[in-house]
Amino acid sequence: MTSYVLETRDVAIHYGGVKALDGVSLTLGKGQILGLIGPNGAGKSTVIDAITGRRPLTRGQVILDGQDVSQLGAVERRRLGLSRSFQRTSIFGGMPVRKQVELASYKMGMSDSAADAEAVLEELDLARLGNVMAEDLGYGEQRRLDLALALVGRPKMLMLDEPMAGLSVKESHDLAQHLKALTSRWEVSVLLVEHDMDVVFGISDVVTVFELGRVIANGAPAQVRADPRVREAYLGSSA
Amino acid sequence: MRFSRILMLALLALVAGVAIAFLTPSSSLLGLFAQAVIYAIFALGVGVLLRQNGLTSFGHALFFGAAGYAMGVILTLDWFSAEIAIFVVLLGIGVLAFLIGLVIVRVPGIAFGMLTLAIGQMAYLLATRSRGLTGGADGMSIPWPSTLFGVKQSVLLKPDVLFLIVWTVLIVVTLAVVWLLRTRFGSITEAVRDNEERARFIGITTTVPRALVYAMSAVVTGVAGVMSSLNTGFISPESLHWSVSGIALVMVVVGGFKSVIGPILGAIVYFLFKELLGDFATYWMAIFGAALIAVIVFSPDGIAGALERLMKPRHTRANATSKSGH
Repeated sequence: MTSYVLETRDVAIHYGGVKALDGVSLTLGKGQILGLIGPNGAGKSTVIDAITGRRPLTRGQVILDGQDVSQLGAVERRRLGLSRSFQRTSIFGGMPVRKQVELASYKMGMSDSAADAEAVLEELDLARLGNVMAEDLGYGEQRRLDLALALVGRPKMLMLDEPMAGLSVKESHDLAQHLKALTSRWEVSVLLVEHDMDVVFGISDVVTVFELGRVIANGAPAQVRADPRVREAYLGSSA
Repeated sequence: MRFSRILMLALLALVAGVAIAFLTPSSSLLGLFAQAVIYAIFALGVGVLLRQNGLTSFGHALFFGAAGYAMGVILTLDWFSAEIAIFVVLLGIGVLAFLIGLVIVRVPGIAFGMLTLAIGQMAYLLATRSRGLTGGADGMSIPWPSTLFGVKQSVLLKPDVLFLIVWTVLIVVTLAVVWLLRTRFGSITEAVRDNEERARFIGITTTVPRALVYAMSAVVTGVAGVMSSLNTGFISPESLHWSVSGIALVMVVVGGFKSVIGPILGAIVYFLFKELLGDFATYWMAIFGAALIAVIVFSPDGIAGALERLMKPRHTRANATSKSGH
């Protein structure tokens, strides 16, 4: 019996001769934040796609809370608690904020979807914008709405693909602190793909470094930051 | 808008229909009104598909014509009473469209339009070639019984009575569509239309809701087909032709597809143009075409969109925030 919330075993995605992911094995415990870093094209977003069922695996397994979900579709995996946000803000522009969050909560099978949606909106400081059309929100608010849609239904695992992209320094800092608090309050584990190194090393429990579809380093933030291979491949000598 | 207010408006529309029926002096004009209302129902069906699925159909005449043919065949072969036949036909159209929809709604954009065109034209050819059953290119008479729902046909087909029937059907169908789109089903289909991928990642299975919208729009169009067959007592392959689908689509574009009422307005405008300009200009369609271009350029969301902008300012973020009460 495993104690991991999420485990990937030898996950690979190949496109012909191109190995987008090549034997990726990761583990993540309950309430942990795993920061995933690496240069562009390293396969960070692809690993989220692989875990959430957006792209089929060439080989390997995805285990959620002890259950092999590798053969399940994206909808089933989401219902089992694998949730994600997207690199580009992905919301329902023509729908008011509260309506879409409540709809997501309803589809997650929450018995009181209105209350669940309200809790998420309060958590992300969106409740006062509940009747605003999503397309009328500011960019930072749209990012939070994106996160809200991922957070409804009390997921076990939240995968965030560059959630700080386009945010101001203050907004990034606030969101990072929010994420850290969320993991304990909502008992959710987070896989965070992010280019802001201060954020990743500041809030992650574990940092994993990707290069060319493979894991080149994995461990506590300080340990990874000191790894010469990581410094050479990604962080640079000044890190 | 609250549904109770919509019901009130529907009641007012019903009263207006009665007034039109009694105040219109000419039977031929009432006949034209009835035809316009039937096309309004047709356009409503096409508009619902565009509004909720974001998909453009070039083949909805399939369901308009199929309803008439199905009524004709069932009544000719005396399978059911006319009353039951109406429900059987609409149910059949719904099931058929749902099954077709499960396959074709997966195809995006213009490819979907081409598929609907192909399926519609297949039905057109089938009706033309099946002389034994459909009368081929000559069409077939629909043997409506002498009484329908307890009303004598001679009464039913009076221009004012017929107009009132189709007007009432339009109001009931519109109310049903508005109600349905306000349910959770409506929200789900909006979500799928706006962002299919995100919809999947909040746990929505995306194909079935789209197929259901396709079926719903087909049933609405089928209602128009049944009404048309009652009005004319005749059906021919022309009802299945792509140009009929095209006319309904033009009505939707002119009226505006973003509101449920838009396609109805488009149908009314189309028939007004036809009636007012048809007597003076042989090529009235060219003038209507110019009007269509003007609408697309100056009000892409159609007449309904323009009216909405005139009647109320945009629902601003400021007043939405104040209404949220948090």
